[in-house]
Amino acid sequence: MAAPGKAIDPIPQFEVKTIIPMRIGDLDLSFTNASLWMVIVLLLALGLMVYGTREKSLVPGRLQAAAEMMYEFVASTVRGSAGNEGMRFFPFVFSLFLFVLFSNLAGLIPYSFTVTSQIVVTFAFAAMIITTVLVYGFYKNGMHFLHLFVPSGLHPALTVFVTLIEIISFLSRPVSLSVRLFANMLAGHITLKVFGGFVTMLLGAGAYAALAPLPLMGVVAIYALELLVALLQAYVFAILTCVYLNDAIHPGH
Amino acid sequence: MTSPENGKGDEEALKARLDRLAKALEERDLRPPARRGEVDVSARSTGRALSLGMRVLSEFTAGIIAGALLGWLLDKAFSTSPAFLIVFIGLGTATGFWNVYRLAVGSTGAPRNGSK
Repeated sequence: MAAPGKAIDPIPQFEVKTIIPMRIGDLDLSFTNASLWMVIVLLLALGLMVYGTREKSLVPGRLQAAAEMMYEFVASTVRGSAGNEGMRFFPFVFSLFLFVLFSNLAGLIPYSFTVTSQIVVTFAFAAMIITTVLVYGFYKNGMHFLHLFVPSGLHPALTVFVTLIEIISFLSRPVSLSVRLFANMLAGHITLKVFGGFVTMLLGAGAYAALAPLPLMGVVAIYALELLVALLQAYVFAILTCVYLNDAIHPGH
Repeated sequence: MTSPENGKGDEEALKARLDRLAKALEERDLRPPARRGEVDVSARSTGRALSLGMRVLSEFTAGIIAGALLGWLLDKAFSTSPAFLIVFIGLGTATGFWNVYRLAVGSTGAPRNGSK
């Protein structure tokens, strides 16, 4: 009964709370609930891969089948969009995919914390990916990598314009990569909470309580949609990583 | 450019190893051929449309945001207050449309074998 207005507020679920305060100099390195959930997500992913593949039986059990399916799925994604040379980045893409997937899924558990609903986290991933693309692109192709920005076979006046646009387009990649994941997770969780709030409000509104099952059904439907979005966003994140890495490997296109 | 011999050798070895492993895998592959690529088929229609829609939206807005940010930074560097911001918001919008156009014709990332 305590503060019903606060109970249905959809925002507090995203608050980062300090669990173990830690400070080094001016840096706040506290262990927060976000850190806790990152550790949980890591353990889940690690658990699936290590525990699932410990038997290596020819006829896989449930966990082994899940682990193998994920491996093959990501491997075919990487090979499909970055070619065979892209397979050297497979460990990178696979780790990213697993982390994003498990944090999206763990975030769907009630009372949990969604790591990927923090833009700092997703932007850190995007920045890491773009840095990898830049470093590997220049390492592999040298200055030829810059041809990525300069289209061929255009009128010189137009080339300047298109080059400028290509550069902005490249700069927009980390933005779109991070904002998409973050916004999907944030919006989904807020919607869930708001519909849940409708249920409690209706239940406390006398005769209108008869209407309470309607938003409850809504919650169930949105939850299913969120499950789809969680899987899909992890997939999209992985495939876009591959597409960007492909630019670093073959900048000629 | 950095140490091409070393990189080439590494690459060659990696390629040979990948080929060998792929061949070994193919030999052991006992699945009936029709079931291959099932992974690609599963997440069709709704999921695909949803992800494409989200991609279009985010690519478009990201273009504008990146343009505005760049313009703002240039303005701050040269203290020419709104000039660069205005120009680069325009360019950013063009970039947004360009991103969406490229998404539609599907020219980002060369060979994509059905796994879009």
